[in-house]
Amino acid sequence: MQYPLDKAESGSYFFFMIFLKHADLDELLDSLSGDYHVYVPVNTARGAGYTRYRGPGTDYAVGGIRSFDPLKSFYFLGREKVAEDFKPDIPRKNDKPPCMVGVKSCDLKGFKILDFVFIDEEFGDPTYMKARRDGLIISSDCTAVGENCFCTAVNLNPWPDSQFDINLSPVDGGFVVELGSGKGKKLVEEYSLLFRNVEDVKLDGAVKENRKAVKKEVEVRVAEKNIPAYRRLERIVTKQYENMEVWEESSRNCVECGACNTVCPTCHCFLLYEQKTDDKFARFRVWDSCMIKDFARVAGGENPRARLWMRLRNRFDKKFNYFPEVAGEIACTGCGRCIAACPGKIDIREVLARLEV
Amino acid sequence: MKNPYRSIKTEVLKVTTETPTIKTFLLKPGEKLTFRPGQFMEMSVPGVGEAPFTPSSDSEIKETMEITIVKVGKVTEAIHDLKPGDTVGLRGPLGKGYPMTKFIGQDVIVVGGGVGLAPIRTLMYGLFHMRDQIDKLVYRAGCRNPGELLYRSELEDWMKRSDLDMKLTVDQADEAWNGPVGVVTTIMDDIDVNFSRARAVVCGPPIMMKFATFKLQELGVKDRNIYLSMEKNMSCGFGKCGHCRIGPYYCCKDGPVFTYDMIRDYPGIWE
Ligand SMILES: Cc1cc2nc3c(=O)[nH]c(=O)nc-3n(C[C@H](O)[C@H](O)[C@H](O)COP(=O)(O)OP(=O)(O)OC[C@H]3O[C@@H](n4cnc5c(N)ncnc54)[C@H](O)[C@@H]3O)c2cc1C
Ligand code: SF4
Ligand code: SF4
Ligand code: FES
Repeated sequence: MQYPLDKAESGSYFFFMIFLKHADLDELLDSLSGDYHVYVPVNTARGAGYTRYRGPGTDYAVGGIRSFDPLKSFYFLGREKVAEDFKPDIPRKNDKPPCMVGVKSCDLKGFKILDFVFIDEEFGDPTYMKARRDGLIISSDCTAVGENCFCTAVNLNPWPDSQFDINLSPVDGGFVVELGSGKGKKLVEEYSLLFRNVEDVKLDGAVKENRKAVKKEVEVRVAEKNIPAYRRLERIVTKQYENMEVWEESSRNCVECGACNTVCPTCHCFLLYEQKTDDKFARFRVWDSCMIKDFARVAGGENPRARLWMRLRNRFDKKFNYFPEVAGEIACTGCGRCIAACPGKIDIREVLARLEV
Repeated sequence: MKNPYRSIKTEVLKVTTETPTIKTFLLKPGEKLTFRPGQFMEMSVPGVGEAPFTPSSDSEIKETMEITIVKVGKVTEAIHDLKPGDTVGLRGPLGKGYPMTKFIGQDVIVVGGGVGLAPIRTLMYGLFHMRDQIDKLVYRAGCRNPGELLYRSELEDWMKRSDLDMKLTVDQADEAWNGPVGVVTTIMDDIDVNFSRARAVVCGPPIMMKFATFKLQELGVKDRNIYLSMEKNMSCGFGKCGHCRIGPYYCCKDGPVFTYDMIRDYPGIWE
């Protein structure tokens, strides 16, 4: 953790940390609502889900586990108008940027993949780039473990270590605050009445304690599922590439609903389509799914991935081979959303375990 | 910030019917739009849809561009219904195209099939423009029957060029055809170039590309010197939508022209 460290005259170090009280977070979000669309996680029957912050009465919880909706839905919308008529304008370019509160480590890793895909000089996606550039991320440590969480298996900790502006570690009465970017530092300075410098070694201990306990619990679950070790994940998908039986067995129950793609924080594939209304027309970008048969079909009916098992294999190949090769990152964050979403009960942890023969 | 999804308003100037299922469209983009041989465009019928096509005209002509299109489905059907004066959208140029400088000082073999003759037309113009910089130039083209031979009168003019070794074949002849009969690989045996250094370009239907590639290998052309125009399902055309992946590449952004050694080990390349 980075703490503002002050060297006192005596030569000994005093430990200053930034503390934010619960009520002060409300005040901060109230104020930020002027410049941002602020989203907070609220508890629902399906688990934590993002909703617009509507003032101090909003019943949200910063800790817990990741939301059921992937963070990408606020940066790369499921369906979005990307061009209108022949105008060079970028639709919705005057919208307020998102301020996401309580973002978890796994979703932040998702950004590493989406940034790699969508940010570039010549063909970058303008709405994504704008939301990333102007948006604010107030992340938080996980304070619980979901039944499908396996982040430690992909070398992630259940607390953020980068990609955030400020991070909140829940402790009694409020949060220990960590700065992750220049934007975060400015925010804390601007709201210095809310963010207090405190000198409290006990707080630091509480943060560490929670992190250790949560990580341990994830590790126990990972061990139960026999997920191959991180350093072997890339290799096993390559090694088992030609092993048709494993892929067939793993894909047997797939009904091609595409839910695994929709909920995945790193799945970025989309389709452009046109729509006409009266004398106007618009181009839309919609999420697409590589598990659906027509995804790679070309005119004349040729389909390089005609069979279900080829499509499941392709999904794993993209996450465990392609992205490590081109971007140096495995494109699975261990969030477990695809496990919860799949009506065929296809469990990525079990597929990975099966690959290691 | 630029909007890469936006198309340029373009006027259809002329429609030429090549065969019952193939038409060539002469287009005039409303803004400056230039391309290099082998690059492609996303062409859209407003409100209907968009699809990738490779221009078939001389890339040195800057005001207009021609695109030759086979009617196969939803978008191409709508395109075939277009009349002069209609409006379409163009987005591009996309992809890398042919590495023309790699052809300098070398023998070049061009092999085309079917509708692949369209993008090859642009390449041939490009090669003619730099004809004095390349050694021998060989063109072998084939299609199913004489009726499907695109730009026939132009091809016949090219046959007369002394600086081009050119041959045409058809799978099935008609009464008027007096050239060779058979698939394109059957007219490749008499090619006389320095194979170990020659550059080869192949563009056509997947099955033809596959056998032409094997034939070129057999003749001694190196995998790294065989340039293939790959066709994959595409949507964005610039490496974001994920539709056209071939191993570590995206066909749109890293291609659509690849050397055979780049892609030979990945599954499904001929499909
Ligand atoms: C780089 C490139 C260059 C091409 N150049 C030409 C050309 O010069 N002339 C020509 O006639 N054709 C060309 N094609 C093929 C042309 O793009 C397809 O015939 C066209 O996309 C079919 O669209 P459709 O809506 O009429 O067919 P449909 O079968 O109705 O299409 C249905 C869906 O499949 C997708 N699709 C189908 N076939 C293809 C395909 N081959 N490539 C990408 N997406 C596909 C479409 O995006 C659409 O979503 C090229 C393809 C590529 C990739
Ligand atoms: S593949 Fe599944 S577990 Fe991995 S990031 Fe995507 S949704 Fe989460
Ligand atoms: S969620 Fe399950 S059933 Fe749906 S496409 Fe993915 S693997 Fe197939
Ligand atoms: S067409 Fe979108 S990635 Fe190639």
